[in-house]
Amino acid sequence: MDKVSGSESSSPSSSPRAPEQLHFTGSGAEYFGIWIVNLLLTIVTLGIYSAWAKVRRLQYFYRHTEVAGSGFDFHGSPIRILVGRVLALVMLIAYNYSVRLHSPLTIVILAGIAVIMPWLLRNSFRFRLYNTSWRGTRFHFRGTVAGAYRVFLLNGFLTLITLYVMAPFMHQRLKAYQHDNTWFGRTRCSFHARAGQFYAIYLLLLAAAVAFGVVIGFSGIGGALAALAQVQKQGGHVDPHAVYRAVAILYGALILMGISIGPVFHALITNLIWNNTRLGEHRIECNMSPWVLIWISVSNFVLVVLTLGLFIPWAMVRLAKFQLESVRLLPAGDLQEFVAAEPETIGAVGEEAATAFDFDISL
Amino acid sequence: MLHANYFDGRSTRVRAVNLSVAGEDLIIAGEDVNFRVPFAHVKVDERLGRAPRRLRLKDGTFCEVRDLDALDTLLLSTAHRDGWVDRMQRHLQFVLFSIVACVALAAVAYKWVLPWAAAKGAHHLPPAIGKTLSVQTLRILDGKILMPSKIAEERRQALSAKFHALRLPEGGTPDSELLFRDSPQLGANAFTLPDGTIIVLDDLLTAIGDDPHTLAVFAHELGHAHGRHGLQLLLQSSAVGAFWTLYIGDISNLLAAAPAALIQARYSQDLEKQADDYGAALLVQNGMSPALLAEALKTLADSHSGSSKGGYLSSHPSTDERMRHLLLLAASFKDK
Repeated sequence: MDKVSGSESSSPSSSPRAPEQLHFTGSGAEYFGIWIVNLLLTIVTLGIYSAWAKVRRLQYFYRHTEVAGSGFDFHGSPIRILVGRVLALVMLIAYNYSVRLHSPLTIVILAGIAVIMPWLLRNSFRFRLYNTSWRGTRFHFRGTVAGAYRVFLLNGFLTLITLYVMAPFMHQRLKAYQHDNTWFGRTRCSFHARAGQFYAIYLLLLAAAVAFGVVIGFSGIGGALAALAQVQKQGGHVDPHAVYRAVAILYGALILMGISIGPVFHALITNLIWNNTRLGEHRIECNMSPWVLIWISVSNFVLVVLTLGLFIPWAMVRLAKFQLESVRLLPAGDLQEFVAAEPETIGAVGEEAATAFDFDISL
Repeated sequence: MLHANYFDGRSTRVRAVNLSVAGEDLIIAGEDVNFRVPFAHVKVDERLGRAPRRLRLKDGTFCEVRDLDALDTLLLSTAHRDGWVDRMQRHLQFVLFSIVACVALAAVAYKWVLPWAAAKGAHHLPPAIGKTLSVQTLRILDGKILMPSKIAEERRQALSAKFHALRLPEGGTPDSELLFRDSPQLGANAFTLPDGTIIVLDDLLTAIGDDPHTLAVFAHELGHAHGRHGLQLLLQSSAVGAFWTLYIGDISNLLAAAPAALIQARYSQDLEKQADDYGAALLVQNGMSPALLAEALKTLADSHSGSSKGGYLSSHPSTDERMRHLLLLAASFKDK
């Protein structure tokens, strides 16, 4: 795109540096062709091609994401992703099997999954970052295995026994583990958000949910009273339409809460996380509007359902564009100075297992 | 001549270069870069939308090209050819074909593959699962939609005795439980739970009246129990639910199926026919005519016309066709 060429920061002398806005230049119509062809190939190969489709999807989104005139890239190998998917499927089946059939084996399988998960997740971070590059320089994840067990097992356990009172704290520890251990070439990232800031967002959302619940509760009681009055008026017959209407209102309110709380939380927490992440001395600014995110999520969902899924490529592009373009890099110095690290090799197994178990922890 | 950015893979420095092709070689020339490599050693990334394409060299360095059309022109003079998936993704006809093919394959999977797999699965699930589901369903429905039967105790016992004395086509007697309930909402109805328990409602007994026709309805329900149609439907709906959750997202969790959906689930015409055939065979086995089932269907159809309640036949499509089929079966058995 032509707007990019102007923002090239190659001149080393220009010092207070202008913020570098992230740009996403993909389009839904363009991505649709890639998506549907890969979907067909995935169906025809009974899912095997999905690994290649995933690489292509990530490459499409990474390569259309640009900052300071250069795009990102994804280098993951489809074969490794396929191996990871098979392993993830095996674990998923073992998990479902053990949960459904109550036997002593259940505990063994669940414990096995709990023990292996932190290691897999750490590998998944490594794989994803190692296979991400900008201007030919790769990212790296250098978190230790011990750190992963502390963040996932110990903190997870603490969260459970404190009845989720520690959930915001655990979230903060997790992001610190991820971002403090992320390197771009030989430049290290750092994370500066405090647990208190996570608690503030969690409490705000909790208060909003409670307030919403109280309102629904009152309207529910109101509905019940109206129905009772009607029963008395009509001599004992409850109008089924009134009941349906009450149920519809209740469901509608629940859905409304479900679709608005999620995006608001996501926007606030993402802003907090990225505003407090630095790449070396360079700062990052993230200013995602919760209201626009609600609008995009809701309209995407409605359109995807109405089109039986054919809108998915547009929905993905819209969401990616909005999220990515709310991020700006505030350079403290020359963006040409990053130096690559020594090459490493990392397996894809971790990442696939993590996505199958649906722990989505990325931007 | 083609403008590109050259990256050395060791730093984030951008070097503006010009690309050109001479013979078998790619020439890269620009600020402190000037070399040529055999084009056979250059890997060209596939085209993904309008994203810049990269020409990757063996040493991990690469050139990033933004002018995609000019790159295509340059590639024409080389041995490089775009991959077949790459070409399909940009080919309008193939994209349209993919839409049609995906929809068609999804339809085939839903109509044939899913019922086939669910039927297989239903026969391989441990009986304990069907039992648990049925007990839970009954616990939720009893007292809310299902009320205690008002039919005289003697008549119920007599029907139960006749039901349990039926000889099954595959040998033995029914091990299904037979429960009597009353339900103003569900009207003249009978249904089979996933573990084979048959529930018959008062309105159905009143509408049909005599025992032989009632037994014919039981024979049909035993067909559902024998084919494990309840479990099959449950597996089908869970598979569809899981698919939509994966495909579209997880908001559908809010629309989790209520247990009442179990009994109101519409058996497909295919499953009804299977149950009819089994019922007919069972009736013949017990010296009765399949015509009884046809007549029972007729009685129920008549009792439902003009009633707004969803009845036995609302979940049993095309009664006429089924009656014709059963009467045909009756005639063929008479001939033997």
